[in-house]
Amino acid sequence: MSFAAAARSVSRWYSVPLVLAVWEVLARTGAVSKRLMPSLVEIANAVWAALMNGDLLFHAGISLTRAATGYALAIVFGVLLGVAMARSRLFDALFEPLFSFGYPVPKIALYPVFIFVFGLGSLSKVMLIFLECLYPITVNAFYGMRGVDRVHIWAARNMGASERQIFWRVLLPGAAPSIFAGLRIALPISLIVVIITEMIGESRGLGYYISYASASFEYATAFAGVAAVAVMGFTLDRLLVWLRNRLIFWERGAAFIGAA
Amino acid sequence: MSAAAQPFSRRRRALLGLVLPLAAVVAWELRARAGGAPSYLIAPSVILATTWEMLVSGELWQHTRASLVRALGGYALGGACGIALGLLAGIARPVERFYDPIVSLTYPVPKIVVLPILIAWLGAGDASKIAVVTAAVFYPTFINSLYGAKGVNRLYVWSARNMGASPLRVFAKVILPAALPQVLTGLRIGLALAFIVTVAAEMQNSRGGLGHLIITAEDSLRFDLMYAAIIAIALIGFAGDRALLAARRRVLAGQTIGKEGGQ
Repeated sequence: MSFAAAARSVSRWYSVPLVLAVWEVLARTGAVSKRLMPSLVEIANAVWAALMNGDLLFHAGISLTRAATGYALAIVFGVLLGVAMARSRLFDALFEPLFSFGYPVPKIALYPVFIFVFGLGSLSKVMLIFLECLYPITVNAFYGMRGVDRVHIWAARNMGASERQIFWRVLLPGAAPSIFAGLRIALPISLIVVIITEMIGESRGLGYYISYASASFEYATAFAGVAAVAVMGFTLDRLLVWLRNRLIFWERGAAFIGAA
Repeated sequence: MSAAAQPFSRRRRALLGLVLPLAAVVAWELRARAGGAPSYLIAPSVILATTWEMLVSGELWQHTRASLVRALGGYALGGACGIALGLLAGIARPVERFYDPIVSLTYPVPKIVVLPILIAWLGAGDASKIAVVTAAVFYPTFINSLYGAKGVNRLYVWSARNMGASPLRVFAKVILPAALPQVLTGLRIGLALAFIVTVAAEMQNSRGGLGHLIITAEDSLRFDLMYAAIIAIALIGFAGDRALLAARRRVLAGQTIGKEGGQ
């Protein structure tokens, strides 16, 4: 790395170590109670200990499985439903009100009902993740399909493309950026829901791990759990961005924020 | 693809939209009346009666108010910080350089994870909930304000400056209006998050509030109470979103700048 490149990456990233350094100083000088704000070294030790005894990986694996299952289900049904609503007026008329009225409603309130219907185990959490993620994914798939430039469809038709070809070669690629925007909105939602449902009533998963550790005043361990969730959320988001830029290579580098 | 042929009139469309929810409610009512249904499937008519009773007695309002204080308190704080810092970062490179890495690193992390730690710091009262809502609302408002301010057409800024506008005036008359649609988009995402996080936080640990009511009602098998609280949460979420949309229409009425991207 040349000096200029090094200087550039320092000026780009300096704030992260700065914030961590402020944290460390606050924790070490005892300006904030040490128990409430453990030093980074203590947190790193807690992460290491939890990694070694397998706790962290065990709970992270459970949370990840739940989140991924619900998310995957929501992708399958959300994209199908969004496409169906965009293609069929009947589907549109039947489902559009459910989505536009239900969108701003916090579905998390239904969790107790889900517990009764699907039991206390993983299924109720997976179904709630599915429901919460379904909304942004469906709505974005719908608008994506609707927003495809008609000129492209006409051009394809004019060149003799069949309906099927138009769907796979024009409509779906045209809707793909919007579909991925929905996926990116839904991703943190899946993590929010899995963590909060595990905090409410569960004896496994990272949500449980964090709330148990902090209820037993082991704040360094709680921060280790938070760090695990942070790593998970960040990695999954990067993976999604990477996948999006591979699949939608013609729009690489375009602003990709989950704003809907 | 809608204008070409419209087989459904507006009225028919609205009726069709009612089909699924109505069918669900009727099926639910019949199932509950037929007896032998699981205990959590209370007839919708009973739920409505309980909701009405709780409305009249003021009990529902008491919990609703507790939730609203937390949700809107955090929303106001997080939204104000998010918009102020986001716009500032959008016009000042050093500010953007400071916040961008921190925000992009922590953005995909569900803010609710720090709730148990916030409870340890701030106690189990309103403060910890407001803090977690603030954090959750900050991100979408910050990011959208940042992109809104950054995305302002340079030509407008140059023209205004060329005509002798002071930096403050350029900000107030050009950048702010141009960024406004996206700022409002961030506020809309933030409002939905504020309600989700409030309910989630109340379910996890709190005294009072609709989320708390749901959990305690469920524990004591008072399913009618539970559904009444769920209805209240749904109505608040929905009404908040509609109010924001109405405000957006008013604020943006007649404005052309900042809308060329199409919204």
